[in-house]
Amino acid sequence: MAGVSMKDIKLRIKSMESTKQITKAMEMVASSKLRRAQARVQNSRPYFRTLYDTLNTIANNTENFASPYLEAREVRKTCYVVIGGDRGLAGGYNANVLKMAWERMEGTSCCVVPIGKKSLEFFQRRGSEILTDLYAEAGDDHVGDCFSMAKMLAAGYSSGEFDEVHVIYTEFVSMLAQTPASLKLLPLEYTPMPGDTESACETLYEPDSESVFEAIIPEYLGGVIYGALCEAVASEQGARRTAMEAATSNAEDMIASLSLKYNRARQGAITQEITEIVAGAET
Amino acid sequence: MTFSLEIVTPDGLIYKGEAEMLSVRTADGVIGILPRHIDYVAPLGMGEAVIKTPDGTRRAACIGGMVAVHNGMVRLVATTFEWAEEIDLERAKTAEDKARSLLSRSDLSERDLKLADARLRRALVRQSVGKGR
Repeated sequence: MAGVSMKDIKLRIKSMESTKQITKAMEMVASSKLRRAQARVQNSRPYFRTLYDTLNTIANNTENFASPYLEAREVRKTCYVVIGGDRGLAGGYNANVLKMAWERMEGTSCCVVPIGKKSLEFFQRRGSEILTDLYAEAGDDHVGDCFSMAKMLAAGYSSGEFDEVHVIYTEFVSMLAQTPASLKLLPLEYTPMPGDTESACETLYEPDSESVFEAIIPEYLGGVIYGALCEAVASEQGARRTAMEAATSNAEDMIASLSLKYNRARQGAITQEITEIVAGAET
Repeated sequence: MTFSLEIVTPDGLIYKGEAEMLSVRTADGVIGILPRHIDYVAPLGMGEAVIKTPDGTRRAACIGGMVAVHNGMVRLVATTFEWAEEIDLERAKTAEDKARSLLSRSDLSERDLKLADARLRRALVRQSVGKGR
């Protein structure tokens, strides 16, 4: 009996060890990808800030200036850009962001632009209206894709296809914490700056402020989407790293307790054998 | 005399420092910016950017985005900005061929047509800037 269970335990230890190797490798891959993703988040920030500043300045300083992008209108249909991951095994990463998106969307008239395979699958299953599945791969995010998506969204918004655009992604708070977040893209919200209209009057816009504004909007949207995507990718890797770290330490715990069991069984077997021999010699 | 220039793209800060002259192609045509330019904002087209710095002249392919002058500070916010010496000519050539073969087909939707056209123009800009180095 002891022999059989010893063999069983040995097998289980072996399988635990190979699982541990896999989770360890995934953890390592995730942390190296995370470093790269973090650097990208940092790199894209100045670009985004400059764009926003300029947009803000124009929006603030131009009086009697109306752009459909600035005006809030009655919301009949909302468009959501939902950024998820391409793969699972990242703890609650996909579940959290998709749950939040679904809570917002349920029962309202809306359409989605899913980014990431998990996100696409989720909305396909729920039967939501999917605007396009061109951007289903979050991993191979390309700046160009973000900009073409932004152009499409801007066009859809100005033609009245939808009246609001939100992006739902996961914010990278720290290595250990990632929280789902939502950002309103359109209509644009700008922070009014008091005073300071003097310098603006002197600013020369070519060809004119309105067309500059219209031209910058898609750029800005693309920048925001790219920024959100960078954050989401970093979050995904962070979540995966944490999940895999936990899996590795669980595997280690299990191996430790199994080794203890194994050793006990071995000792038990030896003791039994000795008892049998001694008993045999005495008779 | 110089002005401070900042060039940013989604990939990061490309250049920050002093410049004597900047020339870029805006949506309306090529403009040159010298020190003490008035406040100015214009969207960018596709074309070559030339930057004269105290250390010499550098050329680059600059596509999309905008240029803004504010209080003598010039900011070039570009979608793509590649120094002439960093352009991969072979890749641009392949992109050109691919775009051309796409354009020669007749079954393209309007959206695809526009995309292919933009791709072709980007490839051509890259090549013309890259070859002049």
